[in-house]
Amino acid sequence: MIHQYKNNGYNIVLDVNSGMIHVVDDVAYDIIDLFDKLGNPKTHMISEEDKETIVTELLKKYNKPEYTELFEIKPGDLNGMKAAIQESISEVEQLIKDGALFTEDIYENYINEFKNRETVVKALCLHIAHDCNLACRYCFAEEGEYHGRRELMSYEVGKKALDFLIASSGSRRNLEVDFFGGEPLMNFEVVKELVKYGREQEKLHNKKFRFTITTNGVLLDDEVAEFINKEMSNVVLSIDGRKEVNDLMRPSRNGKGSYDLILPKFIKLAESRNQTNYYVRGTFTRNNLDFAEDVKHFAELGFKQISIEPVVSLPEEPYSIREEDIPQIYEEYDKLAKYMLEKKKEGKGFNFFHFMIDLTGGPCVAKRLSGCGSGTEYLAVTPWGDLYPCHQFVGETDYLMGNVFEGVKRTDLVEEFKQCNVYSKNQCKNCFARFYCSGGCSANSNKFHGQINDTYEIGCELQRKRVECAIMLKAAEAVMSF
Amino acid sequence: MKRIKTLNTRNLKDTMKKGGCGECQTSCQSACKTSCTVGNQSCENK
Repeated sequence: MIHQYKNNGYNIVLDVNSGMIHVVDDVAYDIIDLFDKLGNPKTHMISEEDKETIVTELLKKYNKPEYTELFEIKPGDLNGMKAAIQESISEVEQLIKDGALFTEDIYENYINEFKNRETVVKALCLHIAHDCNLACRYCFAEEGEYHGRRELMSYEVGKKALDFLIASSGSRRNLEVDFFGGEPLMNFEVVKELVKYGREQEKLHNKKFRFTITTNGVLLDDEVAEFINKEMSNVVLSIDGRKEVNDLMRPSRNGKGSYDLILPKFIKLAESRNQTNYYVRGTFTRNNLDFAEDVKHFAELGFKQISIEPVVSLPEEPYSIREEDIPQIYEEYDKLAKYMLEKKKEGKGFNFFHFMIDLTGGPCVAKRLSGCGSGTEYLAVTPWGDLYPCHQFVGETDYLMGNVFEGVKRTDLVEEFKQCNVYSKNQCKNCFARFYCSGGCSANSNKFHGQINDTYEIGCELQRKRVECAIMLKAAEAVMSF
Repeated sequence: MKRIKTLNTRNLKDTMKKGGCGECQTSCQSACKTSCTVGNQSCENK
């Protein structure tokens, strides 16, 4: 399976199953397209007769004066053009022989075996505070309450959670704990105590805790910043972008916008972390479909690690993204990608989380196809110690898995999440982006379809576009350095 | 090749041999929390 597309003047061919990405000229682009149509369904090679067909078709298309440069021939040199097309056909054949084009999906059994292995818990999302000092309109946690009550996690519950993680992690050395909410800084003393406890325990058990925190910044001060910089391997700073955009959706409980209060703190924190290991992270909604402007706003403020993500909300919400918004969102992503290239050329480049893609040392195929780990390797813990498959399921009692005192009770749910992967979802089978999203988010599937083995189609469409843009950026960077 | 430039050197098929160690970061611990993004993550077992 291949995916061919043109973006920002680049012709890109993604060989889906090998992950190989080829930047090609117009002639090779057409030839690969014709191989896809004419090739043997198994070997993808084409007959001598089909090669002749390709040559004839392309001669018809390209035998015009404007194309002589493309073929590096003199005007009217039909033999020269023919030879160039034949050479290009040979190049395509070589890629197929090298296992870099039209490769088969050979991973299904491998992934099923991989998913059936004994899993360990390696990451917890600690809901350290089911309370919040903002009242963001789109909050999936319902202003911190998660369909439940306001509560702060006690040190005792947090300690039990870390003990549970260590005990459930087998030989896995790197353990991840995200302090999440609500707003985790509303329970900062417990965060500090738990980090201290974790640091003691990691030595005793030969583990390494990676702590992270997500905050809205309201309670961020120098003392908190110093602690975060010392202990947190990543920090997510929630802010939506331009003042009017942020303040519309992220007001405080008295209705006042939060932008003026938090922005200077975030600028200072990002600088104090040397512009690494953090994200300013916003949500865009139907109210700001021109979200590329919000990314630009962050970039102009000097932020280097930026993430702005589409809201995931049910259609009845007026701010929800609708199918009809997709063309505009695509344009915004294209606009953003071009802006990022300009900035890079100026030496002022920055990262946009959803356009980041690692073509040299990225994840293995097992990671890419097996899902995010929710319900198996990754669990969320409520302030009173209940376990859920992930932060987004918290409060949905059908998905209550157990608690940190007695462990996971609902092994049936673990099994269900274990079986959930790219191959368990029909929609993923023919999607070129399946190696980049791992089959999508189970919580989103559940939100829109009431079950985890489905997909959230708008999310998929946006994901595909982001993968295209991310690859285009890599193509542009590669061409810039050739 | 004249008309084709391949960007990556790592074929996903090759990662079947050594992959699946599980030491890499959980995808939702990075920034997203509302989608599933794995393509941008790093391998801890290069």
